[in-house]
Amino acid sequence: MTRTAIKLRLNQQQLELIDNSVKAGEGGSREELIRRALREFASANLSQPGSNK
Amino acid sequence: MTASDRKLIRELTIERGTGKALELRRGQVLRIAQTSGRQCADFNCFNLHDYKEFFHTGRTRHLHGLHPTKGDFLWSAPPRERPMMAIIEDTVGTNDVLYPRCSAFLFEHQYGLPVHTNCHDIQAEAQREYGLTPDDVHDSFNFFMHTGVGTDGHPFIAKNTAGPGDYVELLALIDVLAVPNVCGADVMMTSDFELKPLKLTVFEASQADWAGVSEPPRLRNQRNPLQFKVKTIKADRELHRDPAYSPEFTNVPIEITDVDVELSAEETGWLSQLAATGQYGDTDAEVLRYVFFTWWIEQFMRGPKHVRRG
Repeated sequence: MTRTAIKLRLNQQQLELIDNSVKAGEGGSREELIRRALREFASANLSQPGSNK
Repeated sequence: MTASDRKLIRELTIERGTGKALELRRGQVLRIAQTSGRQCADFNCFNLHDYKEFFHTGRTRHLHGLHPTKGDFLWSAPPRERPMMAIIEDTVGTNDVLYPRCSAFLFEHQYGLPVHTNCHDIQAEAQREYGLTPDDVHDSFNFFMHTGVGTDGHPFIAKNTAGPGDYVELLALIDVLAVPNVCGADVMMTSDFELKPLKLTVFEASQADWAGVSEPPRLRNQRNPLQFKVKTIKADRELHRDPAYSPEFTNVPIEITDVDVELSAEETGWLSQLAATGQYGDTDAEVLRYVFFTWWIEQFMRGPKHVRRG
């Protein structure tokens, strides 16, 4: 299965926000939370998410 | 004589999470320039010889609208109401005098982050060099802050469009203490979710600089302390630099960490579609960061979201 690695540049304050959300149970890890955001954002903003895959 | 005939006085860079108080004499020009772009600069300004006269967003907004630009003035508060500085160049045109400065309260209340860079505390820390207190920080002029008001009457913050090297230039019309800072809002849209340094340059203005400034009004109701019934205050009016001053900005240095995110083929496809719209960033990483924070704001931020709808 093909996977793509993305490198996000984040500072310590932004990581604190992410880590707080992970601690609150919104995601199992930083990566899972970010992927959840992408999934839900795409669902809300793309007419046919994933149509070009 | 042209603007290029200017005499260079000083150059410096303000780092992420910081600001700097600069003494400018009448006839000196402050340039606030982008480094890598998309960075908001908050700004305070005081009469150098009487700190009770300071920049007023309300009067400036009243006279020049929500987005002052080249040809407009930075006015002091009533009852002084003098033009303190003139905007003589603006290569972007997305300035704001609608939003207040961000503050520690705001990040604690809306994001659950009690210790966070914010423009109020950065301004207070920079102004402390001249003996001013946190109560002396005033509403900011927000350079390079792209804002608007929606049809529902609510203000919103739009994507920052300032590019590398873009700048604004301010000509001091009186002696001032000018205090620019790198906006500390990295989890809002203001600076595209990334804090970047800003370059500051001070010049002696050329005749060409003065030639572009219209004559400001001089009216009897631009009052000064000589006309006040109570003429004295409980502090010196002259601002004196504290030689023992040592900056203590919150959360500085701002340190960048690369966070690796592995996306499935399906997720990569969504990201590609979003990137193709051109609305969210220039690189996949920028698009994903934009997506994450705007999603987070929508899901979890308390209070008004300040995003354009519809």
